[in-house]
Formats: sequence, C-alpha cells, structure tokens
Amino acid sequence: MTSTISAAGTTIRIADTGPTPDLLAVAGDADARVVEVGPTGVPALEPLVTVTAGGETAFHADCSTQELETIVESAADGSAVRAGDPDALADHEPERAGMPPVDLPGLDVGSRHVLRGAGWRNPTDPADHDAAGGFDMSDATAVRDTAAIITGRGWGDLCQDEPLAATWETAQDADGDPLVVVNAHGNPTDALLLATAPFEVLDGATAAARAVGADSVIVYASSADDRAAETMRAAAGNHPDTAVAVDIVTGPAAHRAGEPTMALEAIEGNHRLEARVRPPGPESVGLHGQPTLVHTARTLAQLAVALRDGDETDTRLVTVEGDVAAPATVELPESATLSSAVDAVTVDGAFKAACVGGRFGGLTANLDIGVDPSSLTAADLGTEGTVQVLAEERCVLEFVGKRTQFAADENCGRCVPCREGTTQLAGLLRDIYDGTYAPSDIEELVRVMDGSSICAFGVEAGRPARTAIAEFESELRAHADGHCPANSCPAPAEVT
Amino acid sequence: MSSDHTHDEAPPLTEEIAPGTAADPAVGGPDRATVTVDGTSVTVEPGATLLDAVEAVETDDYVPALCSYDRQEIGPRSECRTCMVETDADGIVPACSHPAEDGATVSTDAEAAAEARDVNLDLVLSNHNLRCTTCGKNGRCELQDAAIEQEVEEPRYGVLDDRDEYEPIDDTSSFIQIDRNKCILCNRCVEACNDVQVEGVLRMEGSGQDTRIGFQSDAETMEDSTCVSCGHCATVCPTGSLVENGIEDATTIPLPGFTQKNSIGKAIESSGKSKGPMTPKKRATEHESDPATNGSAPNTPTIADRASDDESNAEDATDDWAGFDGGEWP
Repeated sequence: MTSTISAAGTTIRIADTGPTPDLLAVAGDADARVVEVGPTGVPALEPLVTVTAGGETAFHADCSTQELETIVESAADGSAVRAGDPDALADHEPERAGMPPVDLPGLDVGSRHVLRGAGWRNPTDPADHDAAGGFDMSDATAVRDTAAIITGRGWGDLCQDEPLAATWETAQDADGDPLVVVNAHGNPTDALLLATAPFEVLDGATAAARAVGADSVIVYASSADDRAAETMRAAAGNHPDTAVAVDIVTGPAAHRAGEPTMALEAIEGNHRLEARVRPPGPESVGLHGQPTLVHTARTLAQLAVALRDGDETDTRLVTVEGDVAAPATVELPESATLSSAVDAVTVDGAFKAACVGGRFGGLTANLDIGVDPSSLTAADLGTEGTVQVLAEERCVLEFVGKRTQFAADENCGRCVPCREGTTQLAGLLRDIYDGTYAPSDIEELVRVMDGSSICAFGVEAGRPARTAIAEFESELRAHADGHCPANSCPAPAEVT
Repeated sequence: MSSDHTHDEAPPLTEEIAPGTAADPAVGGPDRATVTVDGTSVTVEPGATLLDAVEAVETDDYVPALCSYDRQEIGPRSECRTCMVETDADGIVPACSHPAEDGATVSTDAEAAAEARDVNLDLVLSNHNLRCTTCGKNGRCELQDAAIEQEVEEPRYGVLDDRDEYEPIDDTSSFIQIDRNKCILCNRCVEACNDVQVEGVLRMEGSGQDTRIGFQSDAETMEDSTCVSCGHCATVCPTGSLVENGIEDATTIPLPGFTQKNSIGKAIESSGKSKGPMTPKKRATEHESDPATNGSAPNTPTIADRASDDESNAEDATDDWAGFDGGEWP
C-alpha cells in the first residue's frame, strides 16, 4: 500500500468501522491514491470519505457509492477536492500526519493526539507511522521518566489511575524475564485503537518492553473484536522493530475476561476464567510465572504519544454510548468536563443521567464534572472512559438492577463478596419493588464487596447501586411506594 | 504393571490436570517477620501469611478464616474472605493470603474488618441450606463452628431455603456422597484431589451462581467420574458437602422419617451396575495391563496407568466389564 502522507496528488481515504468493499471498488477507478484507513471513533459519520489534495481536505460523511462515484468523476476532471458537495472542508498543512480539525459532529470535540492517526493513516502501513514521527526509540531512561507521569487507563490496566513507573520497577526487580501484555479486551476504545492506530499501541508496548528489559509483547483482545485483532496482527507483521516479538492472542468475549489477572489466565489457555489472588501481583508473578506488565491499549498509546511529543498534554479517551443516536469515542483534554463528551453525540430524547466509568460506573445527573481521574473519583464515578447516557424515560432502578444482575451472572465465582454479594445485592434491589427499601443494608453490602473482593469486578460491582442511592434516592423510594417516576417499570400486579 | 510403559515417556503427572482454578502466585512473606497483632508482637517464619501471625496470638476479635486449610499443598484459596483484618500499610486485607511482612501492624477489631468478616460469613450462609439436624457433619462442621463462634443467630441474608433451588444429592458412588447444597466452594477438595493425590478427578466449574464442584472427565455423577475413592476430598471438606458413605448420618439428630435425603428432596442414586472403588474410565486403564501378571491389587492404578489413560479404549474395556454387576472384586 502506498504511503498516504508523503503522497503528492489526490488522496481518497475511506474510514469505516466495518469493511467497505463497495466503496473500495468504486474508488478503485479514481485517479488518486485510495487508502482504507480504519475507523474514526465516530461511527455516525461513517463511512467517512475524505478527499485530500495539497492543503485541503473535503469530508463526505455517511458516503454512499453513488456519492463516491460523483467524487471520483470530478476528481478525474481535475476539479479536485471540493467536488461532490462535501459536508465539511478543512485547510491544513499539505503533509498532515493526522486528522485535521474539522467542523463535523464528534470530530469537532476536544483535540486529537492519541487519535490523530485514526481515520487518517493506513493502520497497518509502517511508512505512514514512520512519516508521522512514529517508531520513536526513546531510551529506557526517557521512557521510565514519562512512565512516572502517565497513569494507567481502564479497568484492564494493572496501574489503573496510578503512574506506571513504580510497577515497572517491581517487574524489573522480580525474578524472571519480564513480559508486556497489551490488554485490549473489554473496552470499546481499546478495540478502536487496535483497529485504527495499532502502531501507536505497539510503540508504547515496545517502549515499555525496552524500559523493563522485556523481549516479548503479547497483545490480548476479545474474540468478538475480529477487526481489532486482524488489524493488529497485520501491523505486528509489518513492524520493523524485530527486537521485540509480538504475539496476538484472543480470549473469550465475557466481560470478566478483561480483568488483568483473568486476561493472563485466558492467555495461558485456562479453560475456566478466575481472578488470581494478589499480592503478589502480576508485576512480580504474572504470565507463566514471569513478571508481567499489563496495560491497556489506551495507556500504551498515551505513553507513545507523550514520548514522541515530549509534552505532558494528558488527554482522556471517552466513549459515549447508551441512549444516543450513535456512540462516539472522543479525545478530551483533562480540563474538559463530561458535558463536552456528551455534546459529541445526539441524545435520544432528554438527558436524565449518565453512568460514568464502565459497566459498573457511577450514576450522575451532573455533567459538570472533570474527566480527569481525581474529579471523577471524588464524584464516585469510574475512570474507565465510558459515559452511558440515560434518557428521561430510562428508570434508574431498572438500570441499576440490570447492571447488578449482570454482575451476579457474569462474575468468575471465586470470592464470596463478589459471587454471593452481587446475588444478594440484586435481591435487595428487587425487594424495593416489593416495598422494602433498605438503603443502609445496601450500603453495608456494597462497602464489604468494595473492601474485600479479590478483583476490580467485585470492588466496582456495587457502584451503580451505591451512587443511585446517593443521587436518585427519591426515584428508588418511589418504587417502594409503588410507582416508577420514569413510567417505565410495569405496574405492580394487583394482589387480591 | 504393564511392561510397555516407561516412566521416561510419561508426561508430567500434572500436565493433563485441569482444576478450573487460577494459577495463583505463591503467597507469604519472603523473610522471617515480626508482626504486631492487636498489640502483641509475634515472629513468623519465611513464607508465612498474616493468618499465621493472627493464629499465634490471642486476638481481640474472632477471625473465622473459614476456607483456609493451609496444610499439605492445600490453600490458601482466599475465597470466603472471612479472615479480613486491618493493616496499617494496606487497609483491610484477607489475612490468609496476605504476606506477613516485617513490621506489619494488624488489628482484628477494626470496624471495617469486623464488618467484612461478619457480612462475608453471612454471605457464605446465604448459599448454604443449613439443615444441620439432618447433616452427618453436625457438630464437626467448620461452618457451623464459625457461625457459633461468630454468634450468628439470624444470618442477615437468610439461608438457601428454596427447595426448588436445591441440587440433587449425588449418592451414586459407593464411597463418597456429594451434597452441593452445603458446599461453600472453598476448593479444598479440588486441591486435595489434584495437588495432593494427583488424581485429576474434581474441578471447579461454571461462574457466578452456577459455580460448582464438577468432574474433569465431564462426568455428571461421582459414579461416572474417574474417582479412585481415596477419600481425601471428604477428609478436607469443612462441611457436610462431601462425606464418606456409611457415616452420612453419623451425627444427625434422630427424627423419625426425616433424613438428609428427603429434606433435600432429590438424590441421584447409584445405577448399581458398577460397584467398587474404581470407576469405568480407570477400570479401562487397568484392563489394559494384565491382571494375571500384575502383582498389585487390581484396584490400584499406578502413575504410569494414569499417564497412559486413553479415552478411546475406555468404551471397549467398559463393555468387557458390562457383565460384572456384583458387589465384590473379581
């Protein structure tokens, strides 16, 4: 595949989450370089066709084959970029290595650093990545210095919300050869990065490997994310740094399989997934007993970008989903608030609340909360990097009940506070429908699950219930009195 | 034993064993450590956990440590979390699997730790049927002991009392009865079977509320499993979940017409077609070797037999035994 960045002439990029054979066939007739660039993070715009010539790019959102035919014909006339009535135009420096700022919903939010190549560069072409300043070979000291600042992102990261460096030191000092595991399981943003910017992730992983003296990187993805695993496999095959071996392993799609120690169990091929007891953690005794760094794709991409740019612009990748027209992943500065993330999408109906921070995030009606981890933690919200929007007609009790039942069904079954606690918690929530609302019982149980579970699954499973009591008590209490304020729960059956 | 076996060619004993449990790291502190528990200083050996220190002193509060066994190669599983204690360095931690590090300070009566032990014990009881009067382990049950010691009068989440949710008693084996309604999933039996006896019969299976003790051979019942009836699982079981046949009623309170079986309501009975301590799969293995030249008892499979265990031969061999339905050994 031709390099897109150094190319003179016209470049047509086709960005989509899925494959686009029809568009590629049409674009094949164009007198231009055609590149399939992977997803943008904003599926509502996709397929997104961009036409770049010189310092100008035209954007065609939700592009049909007919529309592309028009664009291709016009490009052949030499009338170039503005042909075909584009949805937006952007001026930029001619050989731009990343998506330029553009006035399209979802792409006009925040600033793209980690996501700069997403939907713009050929994900599997090392020349593109190289031209964009990739394959950074910062020395181990520089990498460790940056790792002292970058904090781990997502529940699949061993250093969630903690700087990476201390864990790395433990791994270096432990017995055995260290390994690096890239955990891309369990969060849409991690899968997105594998599918659209695998070299950014590999840059971070190989930098971490250099810093701790590891010669092997294992990329772990869900078997449900074919595109992510395939793209990463292709990118790893093209990777010029042969000093570090890269393997791609997929594990079961179950949510718990994203937990760091269960990820190791899945990679080792255990037929049953169960969290490992800690301490010692995987940084001392991890994959096959070797000291292992487990970081999410987000963490490692962030590390790579920070190393290359040499600045400390910390951004957060946030995926907004739920009662929205289409989900979107946006990159925000840490100074931004949750409301700017929600602004990137179209809410179906009136906004009521958001579940912030993953499957077991916290509930809030207030979006004027920073996306940085300390603000989120202070508000008892999660830092997983997801915002689940709940529209007005969504019942909070039903939502929390379903999350809790999910936890009861999907936990690994190892520890009592999680296995039995989630079951009892679901029961206590169900009791509200029968008129028994016992907030102190719920709080006591959630406190114990939080304090004594083996892994983050059990620690976080009670957060939806806890935050619902704190933020939506009147709505819960109303159910105990026999009615649902959102009018969504079925009326209790008349007992005669 | 069969002469065509050489030990050199046999795979490691544990290679095929799939207990369904995580590959836990070794826990315990690296060095000899002096730990302060409730104000009392105690020194423990390398490899010790905080529970070793807690058990060495008179503590302010009772620490049940229900699932802990910590003998032979069994545990710590750190599953029940009824051994939570508060430490200065790490907050509340499970004593059974937390390394005893020099200078650590432990408090058993800290509010959060006491609450966690109390709630977690009640959570264990919430999934136990608590029919102590018909249980053969009545009076020698570690769960019962812990509940009495902890002064549990009315577990806050109740007990498993919905008979529709009971699992049938597995009474198919001539030697060991399984009542999963009393199982607290402490995993001792699985470790005794796999790590101590190296038999590879039992495993942990399922997830969430479906987590249960099952068989690595995918058998449904003890009778159809590859169990060799060594009895170690029953020895280590803290409750009445695994008991030796013949003493399953040993300590029940005699109430006429009221037994453990009819209190559960359902039981899977032995088919009667296979008797004796060896189950079809292992019998097949035994059949491969020639009993005539075999000096050892026919019901004693050896390490080499296990290593050569071959599913494909199992059926044929079982057929050879099909006519054998007596209660004695040939």
